[in-house]
Formats: sequence, structure tokens, C-alpha cells
Amino acid sequence: MNINPDEIFDTTSFNIDREPHIVLDTEICKKCDQRACVNSCPARCYTWSEEDAKMTFVHDGCLECGTCYVVCAKDAFTRWRYPRGGFGVSYRMT
Amino acid sequence: MKSFDAIVVGAGPAGSSAALTMARAGLEVALLERGDFPGEKNMFGGVLHRLTALEEVFPDFWNQAPLERHIVKKSLTFMTGEASFNVNFDTEASDRPPYNGYTIYRPCFDRWLAEEAVKAGATLLTRSTVDDVVVEKGKVVGVTLLRDGSELRAPVVIAADGVLSFTARKAGLRRPRFNPSHQAVGVKAMVDMPKDVIDDRFGLVRDQGASNEIVGCTEGVRGGGFLYTNRDSLSVGLVLHLSSLSQSGKTPYDLLNAFMKQPQMAKMLRGGRLLEYSAHLVPEGGYDMMPEIVGDGILVAGDAAAMCIVTGLNLEGINLATQSGVLAGKAAVEAHGKKDFSRAGLAVYRRMLEESHVLKDLKLYRRTPGMLHNDRIYSQYPEMVCGLMDEIYRIDGAPKDTMTKVLLRAAREKVGLKNLLADVYSGWRAL
Repeated sequence: MNINPDEIFDTTSFNIDREPHIVLDTEICKKCDQRACVNSCPARCYTWSEEDAKMTFVHDGCLECGTCYVVCAKDAFTRWRYPRGGFGVSYRMT
Repeated sequence: MKSFDAIVVGAGPAGSSAALTMARAGLEVALLERGDFPGEKNMFGGVLHRLTALEEVFPDFWNQAPLERHIVKKSLTFMTGEASFNVNFDTEASDRPPYNGYTIYRPCFDRWLAEEAVKAGATLLTRSTVDDVVVEKGKVVGVTLLRDGSELRAPVVIAADGVLSFTARKAGLRRPRFNPSHQAVGVKAMVDMPKDVIDDRFGLVRDQGASNEIVGCTEGVRGGGFLYTNRDSLSVGLVLHLSSLSQSGKTPYDLLNAFMKQPQMAKMLRGGRLLEYSAHLVPEGGYDMMPEIVGDGILVAGDAAAMCIVTGLNLEGINLATQSGVLAGKAAVEAHGKKDFSRAGLAVYRRMLEESHVLKDLKLYRRTPGMLHNDRIYSQYPEMVCGLMDEIYRIDGAPKDTMTKVLLRAAREKVGLKNLLADVYSGWRAL
């Protein structure tokens, strides 16, 4: 048994919205020296590329836990809200 | 624009308890839920403590609510990479009603409680994410919905929208930023396992359940593990303090995978299949991170009010949430009687909480979050305890030392005597 966030859709259900509920100002992430979101996010939604000096955020597998909202040291969100009603993660038995 | 006597944001345990209380008193209540159904977005470790606040409404709660197992066996484990030392408490007293606690599935339990509020007359509006509060003359008088910008109005709004409570934020009741040392993230794997295998493995019969808290399984990150029995599945997971996790550079899923592979854990989970992976924040800061819980036209309850107690042995949340929800509901009913929805008119909520176990317990344990911010608890102490047991039991042909010598040596090597004394003192003060 192994949790692999890249295969999160095999074990956790989502109703993905086209419109992201979290929007980052990635220019701010460039200047951040902590980037705590990258390791702290339990769904690995944040990826930092050293080569391109670029932060990528994908909202598809977001568990809506709020970890990034709390650990972000730079307040880099231009939007952080819950998905529109009926969208996002859908737990069955947790 | 629709009008109600009260609007409850969030159909979790706090919100549904508030809606149920108000609907039973004859108020017209809107209960808003952002999910497709109540409980769809909700996750917790897995143990629901006895809900004394709901016993007036459900005297035989255990026959009505959708429960998995009632907990008869509680244990605490000190764990290292290859050893574990368990302290078990197993009692027949927890095997008869009123039961002391249960394992539940939130999508089932929260849905049931919200449906009870609906049966009492509340209007449940699902797929309704609240976008903002409507403020007039400094008073909260309603909310707007993200879906279509539509407005709902009521003289009193109860914010029960969970740990991040954007409703409390928008009403100016909580600070704009959270302190990462006040929050923890829980990650959980739900593991499929036949009932008879669980019964045999954990020594249980009928609907009996076991709960196990584990310390030392987080590679030095502040936090702990848990293993709970549902009817035919196990809940296994970690709770990790965000300040410590973010600084460690480790990821929650790598830590959870390592925890599940620890030899003693792997034996408990053997043959299991991963059903669902989930995550949620826990407002572990307790009393000192609470927002303002009363404003003009608004009350805050449950996780939104950071009503959470962590002692290391127990984690209380839903019991506090339902109690605060019931009291917020009662305060709103009183406010309707007096036609006073101002901060002063609603302040009775705070007074009722002060008189109940909610604020008494939150105050009693206000030092524990600080005590638990001690890295020694999460690696050195489990190593000390397991090392000590190993030395006591091991037969290797070498002459034995006295127990006192063994104990002192283990404490000196792993923790340091000065640290040990300081930690015993702070633990004693905090608990």
C-alpha cells in the first residue's frame, strides 16, 4: 500500500471545475526563499522548477485542506476560496 | 432575495446542531452547505467522542446515528523505526450505553445530522458556497452565494464553515493570517479490510472498536499517528504541525507511507487495500487562537471558532462543535425573543459557552499546545522508552544493572536529565 499523489484520482473522487478556486501570483513565488507549499501540500499541487525558476500550481487534485493558505509566507494568492458549490473533492467514506 | 430567521453557514456537526436547535424552537432556518451533500467535504481522524450536547434530542443516539463501531479499547504507542511500546486501556464500561466514543464516516454521519435538522424544519441548501457577508449599518444581515451572486438575508448568521472560516474573516472576526504553529494537517488512508479480520487482529467482538494513538512515527516532525477500526475498514493517518512540517522539507504522503511500512504497523495493515486518501486542517492552537465568536448579527461555532483540544492522548473537536452549535442556536432563539441581534444581544452565547465544558476545557488545556511544541516528544522520548524496554528484556550474556541505573542511563543518553525534569514539569503544568 502506497500513497502516490500523482495517482490521487484512483482513490479520491473529484468533480473538477474548469475555473480554479486558487490563483497564484507566481512572480511572488519567484522571490520566496521558503516555498513551504511545495513539500507541505498533501496532494502535491505545487511544483517548483529550479531550471525555469517557476512555480506551477494545478488545482485538479486539490483536497481543499488549506495547508498552502496557512504556510505561504508571502501571501502569494490572488484568489484563495473554496470551489463553487458542487465542485472539488468528493469524499465517500472518510 | 430570500429571507430567513437565521442562516447557518456549513452543514457540519456545529452547523447542523445549530440548525436543529433553532428549527426545533420554530425558527425558519437556512442551512448552507458547499458540497453536493453534507459531509462530502469533511474529514477527520475517525473517533467521535460522546456527544452529550445532542442527548436531549437523541436519548438513544447510538440507535439512530450511522456509526461504525463503539470504542472499548484505547491505546497509546511509543514507536521507533523498528520497535513499539504500547499502553492499552480496555474496559467493559465502554461496552455499554451511553458509549464513550465511536468511529464514523463523515459523509454518512454529517449527512444524517443535517437530515435531522431538515426533519425539524430547517431548509438545507447544498452546492452553496458562501462568497461574502452582507453588512448594513455595521451589522451582518445576510450572505451572498458564489454560485450566482444571490443574496440570503437573516438577522443572525451562524458561521460554522470550518477551520478556515472565511465567513468569520469577512465579518472581521478572525485575523487575516493564520499562524502555522496553530494549525496541523491531518492526512489519512482508508484501508479496506474484512470485519472478521479486524475483529481477530484487534481482539474485538460485535461492534466493538479500537483506537490507537502513536507518537514517534513522524521522523521527528511534530505530530503523531493514529489507527482506528471502522466496521470493515481501518483509518490510518498522521497529524502534522504545519510549522514543523513546512520546515522539515518532508511531505505528508512520504511520512504516511513510511508510517504504514513500519514493521508493527505493516502487520496491522497487511492484506488491506487503499480505498480513499484525504486531508484536512486541525485548529490545534486551541484557546489562544480563537477568533471573536460574537459580532453584530453573527456567531461563530465549531472549528471556525478553533474549538479544538489536543492533549496528545485525546483529540476533541466534534463534541465541542456540537455543543457550541447547540448553544449558538439557543442564543439565536433568545435574540429573536428579545428582537436584539446586536453584539450585546447575542453575547449570551459567550456566557453559555463559559458555563459549559467547552470554554472551561479550552481554558484548562490552553497550555498544552505550547507543551506539545517540544521536539523531544516526537523522537527522543519514543526512542528512550523503546530503548529502555529493549534493555530490560534483552538476554545477551552480559551482567545486569539495577533498574534505576538502566533508567537513568536511558534518560541521560536519549534526552538529558535536565530536559527530562523540565519536560515533566511543563507536562504536569499543561495537563
